[in-house]
Amino acid sequence: MLFVLIVLPLMMAGLMFILPSKRARISLLVLTALFHLSCVVCFWKIAPQTQWHGFLSLDVLGLLILSIISVLFVVVSFYLIAYLKGEENRSTRFFIACLLVFLSAMTLVTVSRHLGLLWIAIEATTLFSAILINFHRTPRGIEATWKFLLICSVGIAMALLGTLFLAVAATNIKSLLLEDLLSNAPALIESWLKLSVIFLLIGYGTKMGLVPMHSWKPDTYGEAPGPVGALMSGALTSCAFLAILRVGQICHQADQMAFFQSITLLLGMLSLFVASVFILGQTDFKRMLGYSSIEHMGILVLGVGLGGAGFYGSLYHMLNNAFAKGLMFLVAGNLYRYYRNSKAHHIQGVLHSYPQTGILLLVGFLCVTGFPPFGTFFSELLILNAAVTGKHYIVAFLYVLFLGIIFIGMSKIVLKMAFGEPQDKPADDQYRESISMVVPLVILGLIGLLLGIFIPSYLSEVLQRASGFLGGQ
Amino acid sequence: MAQKILAIISLWLHLTFILVSSPFLLGVIGKTKAFFAGKWGPPLFQPYYDIAKLLRKGCVYSTTTTWIFRAAPMIALAAVLVSGFLVPMGGFNAPAQFWGDVILFVYLFALARFFIILAALDTGSSFEGIGASREATFSCLSEVALFLNFTALALISKNLSITGLVGGGVSLPWQIIGPALTLVVISFFLILLCENSRIPVDDPATHLELTMIHEVMVLDHSGVDLAYILYGGAVKLFVLGSFLMAILIPFKTQNIFMDTGIFCSGMTGLAVAIGVIESVMARLRLNRVPYFLISAVIFAVFALIITLVRGGH
Amino acid sequence: MEAWLDMTLVLVVLLGLFMIGSNRLGAIIQIFGLQSVVLGTIPFLMYFSKIEIHIVIVSLVAMVLKGFLMPYFLFWAIRHVSIRREVSPLIGFGSTLFLSGFLIAGSFILSSRLIFPYPVMSDFIIPASFSTIMMGFLLLISRAKAITQVVGYLVMENGIFLFALLLLEKTPLLVEMGILLDVFVGALVMGIVVNHISDHFEHTDTSHLTVLRD
Repeated sequence: MLFVLIVLPLMMAGLMFILPSKRARISLLVLTALFHLSCVVCFWKIAPQTQWHGFLSLDVLGLLILSIISVLFVVVSFYLIAYLKGEENRSTRFFIACLLVFLSAMTLVTVSRHLGLLWIAIEATTLFSAILINFHRTPRGIEATWKFLLICSVGIAMALLGTLFLAVAATNIKSLLLEDLLSNAPALIESWLKLSVIFLLIGYGTKMGLVPMHSWKPDTYGEAPGPVGALMSGALTSCAFLAILRVGQICHQADQMAFFQSITLLLGMLSLFVASVFILGQTDFKRMLGYSSIEHMGILVLGVGLGGAGFYGSLYHMLNNAFAKGLMFLVAGNLYRYYRNSKAHHIQGVLHSYPQTGILLLVGFLCVTGFPPFGTFFSELLILNAAVTGKHYIVAFLYVLFLGIIFIGMSKIVLKMAFGEPQDKPADDQYRESISMVVPLVILGLIGLLLGIFIPSYLSEVLQRASGFLGGQ
Repeated sequence: MAQKILAIISLWLHLTFILVSSPFLLGVIGKTKAFFAGKWGPPLFQPYYDIAKLLRKGCVYSTTTTWIFRAAPMIALAAVLVSGFLVPMGGFNAPAQFWGDVILFVYLFALARFFIILAALDTGSSFEGIGASREATFSCLSEVALFLNFTALALISKNLSITGLVGGGVSLPWQIIGPALTLVVISFFLILLCENSRIPVDDPATHLELTMIHEVMVLDHSGVDLAYILYGGAVKLFVLGSFLMAILIPFKTQNIFMDTGIFCSGMTGLAVAIGVIESVMARLRLNRVPYFLISAVIFAVFALIITLVRGGH
Repeated sequence: MEAWLDMTLVLVVLLGLFMIGSNRLGAIIQIFGLQSVVLGTIPFLMYFSKIEIHIVIVSLVAMVLKGFLMPYFLFWAIRHVSIRREVSPLIGFGSTLFLSGFLIAGSFILSSRLIFPYPVMSDFIIPASFSTIMMGFLLLISRAKAITQVVGYLVMENGIFLFALLLLEKTPLLVEMGILLDVFVGALVMGIVVNHISDHFEHTDTSHLTVLRD
């Protein structure tokens, strides 16, 4: 079943080159996405069996992230129906094919149990998302693609080196399968394990966009098309986070959690600091979202670094962040469609000109900055709680301070965009708000709200079990 | 007493051997280049004729020059000849050796160069000044590389005299430390090309002053002085070449004629190699020459590192 | 065999140095191809006595992909580029050469500190791999031309490949192949982007890609 889930999108991607009409290609994309989602829903009921000599298997952590990917992909594919209609001058064939390969690679990330395979999958996501970023082929887009490709490839190369070091550390185990590593973790050689943890954190941290390996993030998110940005900031970063959590799992079993947590704590605080500094002077809406993503990635690893309730909070925050960021980037996609720009001073009075998108912009803003009753508020509170109970008072203070600064910085931009005076009337009604470009956003907003006011018991159980992997209660 | 006489005889033999055979290398290089150019070329002994002709001529001195200008060619020739005494050549052991003579070896070359540079500056000609400054710059780098090579060899042989480094009694451990020795040989070859003003560092046949290094420094020398300088250049090539040969040929047959035969054919091979390089390569632009020398330094550093890792066994 | 293995490893590092010292894009790509081919022969020297079909496949695929296909493709990417020289590197050639000398020394010192859990065929493998990785990184950060940066990345991957050879017997063939394929596709995508850069900007100088900044 897992194998099908990986191969089917690939086959569909191949079909894209045969299908004659754009309409057929898009409907096939939506169908594949729906099939993927339905499979993932089944997995919540019945766990799929291990395949391929234990290389592919799905645990609760993988399931959590696979669900994020699947839901976001379905929403984005629905959104693309209307979005691609507006992009008459670009060939959609290659774009949709890459999107499907991207989905397949991300699925592989969540189900791979071999660390080499995990690396291959993550590198594949880098390469195919690079093609997706370059959809518009503007000079700025090419520049962003180039930076993303180069920085992430070098980062991922570091992760490969880290994986090899881990293989050296596992000389006595003679395998890089996660099961073998976890059950024989004390046999790992300590010095090589520590070295490999450093390299793996740098490598996958680059992919996640943690400071100081973050510099590609604002550029890439600033230039990527809205739906691609939604997938990258929601699903792709979660995949990279999964890789880091896998490292954490091994460290937990090998009694090296303190070492792992000290690095993640540092990376998390640095990310929050840099995000809060750079978000203040932002003039570009999408770049601001890039820095906001750095902030949230910082919160995720900070939660892991704090431990205790932080693990649960961190995983919970991962869910919230994925949907909130997805919503924000789709709003950005809409705004780019209307204004052909993402500079904040060109976009003013959205609430007046495009009331539905304007409301969604405000909802997304509240969701991203962690306003009650949205889920982000509670997960950020949980991590604060972990900091206080862990007696990291300075961390707790700085955490609240940085979140406050980021809130102020973002509200300065977003509120002006939403409430300001519209500069000129939208000339033609070609770009009226269509229902198909609003409904997917509403769904994401509702998920973000639901996660805040009501967590189903099976979800909280899965979160508990997943945080148990890292030593949480 | 008998020992003293023997020492003097060996000294004279060594000197004669160097003096007689060194211009021959230049002849071989010239012949090789002519062969590659599809010409018959000058005879093999042309450098001897040139030197002999120049020795019979008188000297012309500019009125602006001082005694340094006159002394420089003699000092240069004498310095390189003395340095030749330190190097074993085939069947001949080095007539002079003592602990630390590698440093003397390098500084004798430096002395020769120093006086040639002074003489060039002494003429007051701007062209010769250019040449002198270039020579000084490049020699800075090549000496670093030379010393690094000696350090690597000293670490291998645990000795600090040239005879102890590469002499007859020493068999270099090519099996264990082969990569390091290869790097030393490459680096030393690059230094040899630079020190003797060969392509790709300097073109001995060029006639454009702006691009020359060595030739431009000796433009004002004539007659016997020029002969000394030419001879000095030939001896320098011969001495450095024989050092290279001593590394490359790590064995001795203990038969003096056989050893000398192997040595001579090796030297001829070296001259042919230089000739081939001169035929197939172009001279580097002046601003690229430092990279050439830096690569010699890096080869030497690399050799040194490998010796440090592998050395001592 | 071990003497040959040592020589080959030294050659790999020297080719890396040549790449750093060279300023012509074509020469850099060709030397990269040569380095990859030399790397491909190392498994044969390492596992001479116990050669297996799995090792042969990995080294042959690596040789073909990195030694021939990638250089060919990189030449394709710069076929329209008229300036094929590294005119103004961000760090000069002399400094990078000196730096790489230090890096080589550093990697030898570093690897003498790391204790490998089991005896390896030659004590040069780890230092050679580290210095190749570092030289690739140096090439990547010190050069302005996009294609040189790609080659820098690929040289890094070559260094990692050299390290991976130590673990060749334990890694599943499929994973090895996947890694090679990924690197190849990476070079492919990078080549396409370089091609786009040269089409849109009429040069491949990444020092001009400075529109996006804060």
